[in-house]
Amino acid sequence: MIGVEYYVLLSMAVFSIGLVGVLTRRNALTFLMSVELMLNAANINLIAFAFYHGNLTGQVFALFTMALAAAEVAVGLGIILVLYRNFRDIDVTVPTTMRW
Amino acid sequence: MAIYELPQWAALGPALLLAATALMLFLFDSISPRSTNRSLLAGTAAAGSLASLAVAVWFTAAGVGTPTAEGGRGVIDPTHGFVVDQLALYFMIVVAIVTALIVVASYDYLVDHAYQAEYYSLVILAATGMSLMAAADSLVTIFIALELASLPSYALVAILKDNRGSVEAGLKYFLIGALSSAIFVYGISLVYGATGHLELSAIAEVITDGEADPYGGLLGLGLLMLIGGVAFKTASVPFHFWAPEAYEGAPAPISAFLSSASKAAGFVIAFRIFTEAFPLGEIGAVIGFDWTVAFIVLAIVTMTLGNFAAATQDNVKRMLAYSSIGHAGYALIGLAGLTVDGGELVMGAAMMHLLVYGFMNTGAFLFVALAEHWGVGRTFEDYNGLSAQAPVACAAMAVFLFSLAGIPPFGGFFSKYFLFVGAIEAAAANMAMLVVAAALVVNSALSLYYYSRLVKALWIEEPPATRDRLAQPTGIYAAIVVAAVMTIVILPGFGPVVDAAIGAAEAVVG
Repeated sequence: MIGVEYYVLLSMAVFSIGLVGVLTRRNALTFLMSVELMLNAANINLIAFAFYHGNLTGQVFALFTMALAAAEVAVGLGIILVLYRNFRDIDVTVPTTMRW
Repeated sequence: MAIYELPQWAALGPALLLAATALMLFLFDSISPRSTNRSLLAGTAAAGSLASLAVAVWFTAAGVGTPTAEGGRGVIDPTHGFVVDQLALYFMIVVAIVTALIVVASYDYLVDHAYQAEYYSLVILAATGMSLMAAADSLVTIFIALELASLPSYALVAILKDNRGSVEAGLKYFLIGALSSAIFVYGISLVYGATGHLELSAIAEVITDGEADPYGGLLGLGLLMLIGGVAFKTASVPFHFWAPEAYEGAPAPISAFLSSASKAAGFVIAFRIFTEAFPLGEIGAVIGFDWTVAFIVLAIVTMTLGNFAAATQDNVKRMLAYSSIGHAGYALIGLAGLTVDGGELVMGAAMMHLLVYGFMNTGAFLFVALAEHWGVGRTFEDYNGLSAQAPVACAAMAVFLFSLAGIPPFGGFFSKYFLFVGAIEAAAANMAMLVVAAALVVNSALSLYYYSRLVKALWIEEPPATRDRLAQPTGIYAAIVVAAVMTIVILPGFGPVVDAAIGAAEAVVG
């Protein structure tokens, strides 16, 4: 049997990969994928801990998280589409009509 | 014993009414797609939000959610993930008020807009999410309600899809929102790992019993990530940088909606999560620090950053956006000032501030909406001498700005005064609160500079020689005048507001 700490290590690695992707990538779609990695890292945690604690709360919450992640992507793709129509690019550093 | 008792779920009435209104708007849209019947759509949305407001006020007056003899504090069984106590009803009222004002103002703002039904249904759906956030009592329901409030907001910011500013604002809001909700849900998973529960009261029980002691690191990290998620929703440091862009690019009524209702909803989940799930004292023993330390730092940094950045702006909407960050810093004092044995005064003061802010800030952004409707421009100079042509709206704007600055006869003064008194009171237990109180005073004085700059532009500067006659759109005018009247009359009515806010704070702190 694999101890719960290994799952936490795995999820932290996945979360960090996602975070680095968010911070370094300029393509809006890659950004979305990186955020998905971070959300799935949370799902790994929830399921591993649900098994560890012996209750189902975490697993059910993981299902909710997946559904919400899908909804979030749907809205995000819509915004990326209008971004492309307006700026002819999906590089997140291109739109700079407002600066402080 | 009443002859007829409402079923338990009816306590969520204010939120359910909003949900029903949103579905009704969808129905109109499916019967007559691309309808531009503004009266029907805006009328339905306004009626729905006013009904929600009326029910929330009625429940408050009827004493729904006051602690009962059996020791319960809400009418809904806590295991269902929702609780309707005074705190929930108070914030449902704030959300409903702001929604009603926004919807009425949007009637004129959206004159030539193609997607009317979508706009109103998204506004009402977001309001439903915010209303549910006020009542959510488990990390699951909090997260779902938060997303229900966020997803329509992303779309609303970008709804002017041929306007580059609006699309850019929507993109930035979405990117930072998606990142912060990923961090928030990871924080939830860590808290779940350390305690094995997602209901707030169950988490508190595990922490009090000391069963979470071996997992202090996990719990502390999870707690910091939860603070990150809350900071995004309330537009405070370190997740504030979406706010200036999103508020500037979004349609002005949506900026008003996000900066007032969405911020208030963010604060209610912060109040609930931290006071209920992580009891002060015990949490310090488990993770090594009390979360008030984090909020003291965040409050000072947020209010200073917001006010200093606002002072350097030339664009009115952007100035209001930074001032909204500053006000998030003021409201954070409500969490920073909590102590082991109380703090309902300082938390009640933060809640009062959020209610007054709901009127004055919404009003100020709606004045910007009016200026956009006129097409006069966006900078301070463009606003020069507007009072000659629109004295009523400019008088109302002066009320909002002086109230935001905290000048005595207006509502904003009283909420800031109570925040100051509460912070001084909390300083007895925690000396750092003196610094917070000092920061509040210094920042309020600084904010007077840039607010009065706008008043000066409106009332003292000469108008440019060539300016067309300005229209008098009924909806926006009505919303602005109502907000201005409320900013003033909340003063004689402040007694009940104080009682309601402090009572609601006692519900979670005491």
